[in-house]
Amino acid sequence: MTCPVCGIACDDIEVELDDVSVVTRNACIMGDAKFKELRSSHRITKPLIEGKAAPWSEAVDKAAEFLVNAKRPFFFVGSETTTEAMAVAIEIAEMLGGLVDGNATICHGPTVMAMQDVGQSGCTLGETRNRADLDIYWGANPEDSHPRHLSRHSIFVRGFFAEQGRYGRKVVVVDPRRSTTAEHADLHLQLKPGTDFEVLSAIMTILNGFEPHESFTEITGISREDIHKAAEMVKEARFGVIWVGLGIASTRGKHYNASMAMRLTQLGNKTGKFVILANRGHCNVTGFNQVLNWSHGFPYAVDFSTGAPRYQPGEYSCVDALRRGEVDALFCMCADLAAHLPKIAVERMCEIPVVSIETAEGPQAFISDVVLPGVLDAMECEGTFYRMDNVPIYARSFCDPPFDFTKSNEDTCTQLRDAIIQKLEAREKAKEEATQAKPQTTPLTDDEFGQRLDKLVSRAV
Amino acid sequence: MMQEESGLDIILNTGSTAFQGAVIKGGRKFTDEYTQEAAYCDINPEDFEELGKPWVVKVTNEYGDSVILRAKKTDRQQRGEIWIPRGPWANIVVTPVTESTGSPRYKNLQVQIEKASGPVLGPEELMKKYYTKRARPKWEENRKWTA
Repeated sequence: MTCPVCGIACDDIEVELDDVSVVTRNACIMGDAKFKELRSSHRITKPLIEGKAAPWSEAVDKAAEFLVNAKRPFFFVGSETTTEAMAVAIEIAEMLGGLVDGNATICHGPTVMAMQDVGQSGCTLGETRNRADLDIYWGANPEDSHPRHLSRHSIFVRGFFAEQGRYGRKVVVVDPRRSTTAEHADLHLQLKPGTDFEVLSAIMTILNGFEPHESFTEITGISREDIHKAAEMVKEARFGVIWVGLGIASTRGKHYNASMAMRLTQLGNKTGKFVILANRGHCNVTGFNQVLNWSHGFPYAVDFSTGAPRYQPGEYSCVDALRRGEVDALFCMCADLAAHLPKIAVERMCEIPVVSIETAEGPQAFISDVVLPGVLDAMECEGTFYRMDNVPIYARSFCDPPFDFTKSNEDTCTQLRDAIIQKLEAREKAKEEATQAKPQTTPLTDDEFGQRLDKLVSRAV
Repeated sequence: MMQEESGLDIILNTGSTAFQGAVIKGGRKFTDEYTQEAAYCDINPEDFEELGKPWVVKVTNEYGDSVILRAKKTDRQQRGEIWIPRGPWANIVVTPVTESTGSPRYKNLQVQIEKASGPVLGPEELMKKYYTKRARPKWEENRKWTA
């Protein structure tokens, strides 16, 4: 089975399921927890309107009403769902002229912007496993964020050309914390926060045959010896991988840092093969970028209010649009925004109607006006996930949802879309009837106008 | 302001742990497990001493928003930096400045930290304290998650 949790989307999970328990094999602690949701006590199994169980049709109708009545609805397409469901959600956003954004915006959005700026030299996870002899984790801690990363795709696994496993690979970790991944490293560059750009530039400077500025150690907290060591490793690598994490995208500098990492990759390609891969957090966060790119030409933060898609991170992205207070209804699919957005954005979510597709109780369900029960993708319904190296994986299902009103999140979105279409049609019809019911006024002739004017003037006198 | 003077200027990073991930993926977001895995603050031993060996700390951002967390002494942190796991607690102090990228300042954020005595709120209490949904009729009586 395919695991619907992190960006690796492991496809070797074995599940034993009976009426009361779930036993998994090969899954990590996070994957196991997600599979155990199949038999959990806190699963949301009934639609909720303001926290109260309600019939499905009523909940869908209410959700459609909120979205149709909004002037600037926002559609947040979460990532632990299939691309098929995402496509329908994007379709609804376009239909209503709303804004659409996905998990990438608060995750690797800046890295995606850097890809547009500089370009990514990438590869699949199979290549990193079989070929890589240098793994650089920049601002990434896969041991916590992708627990099976190290054993399946990078440092510990034995590959075709990397048959020695860990002994054949060199590992560099760049992180201000001594993270658990850093403990496996040959070299840990413990930089000061916010100096990724400077450290990347310094490595490039050395590779170009120059010496970094004398203030380098004072600014970044890294010794000259260590930075030379890192540059030497890049130079010696036959196949190097830079795994960029959120340490690069969430800190000061954002996409400039990621751009610089991609330029370092370009430089590394002069002496060996070098690639850069983003450690994407969720199983299908890449899928959202793929779907929106394919359907509308932009990876995230798109506005449909003019009828044509417009792309502007920082303006149409989720946090910014909520912070400015211009959004007047929110549809959130399979993401816990209330737990993961800054306070000011969540405060705005409390002021507006919120419709969510959620599987379990939590902050998002807490602040939602309508909760539509979520279906667990890759378990109760099938669909496509894009792994973090942009490889599509078709995830099969092996059981049914615990309710019968929807088969999948795609089905939920389709039903919602149909309800919205009905409402829009009804509104159009009402408008037409109103115009027909109005008495037809014919323009006045010049004579009639003169007579009326005379009457008014005489009355005034 | 007395409070600000007693605080320590420090840099905040947030991030994930596998255990916090397991709690949220397992849908246990309104349980004490979430508090245990996400409502703490890693502090460097020297900063920990300077703060007066606190059990709980209060972290305040430039907007004056603050949150109370358990203090954990750890040598994984460099001096002058703290680390809070991702979650509703950390996001009380994360600022929405996105530098035109859409991504807020989850890392490398200047905050103040001080010793505190207040209780560390559970996830549900935290949501109730900081976020009040407008015109929510009888939310508490209605609340029935799983039915």
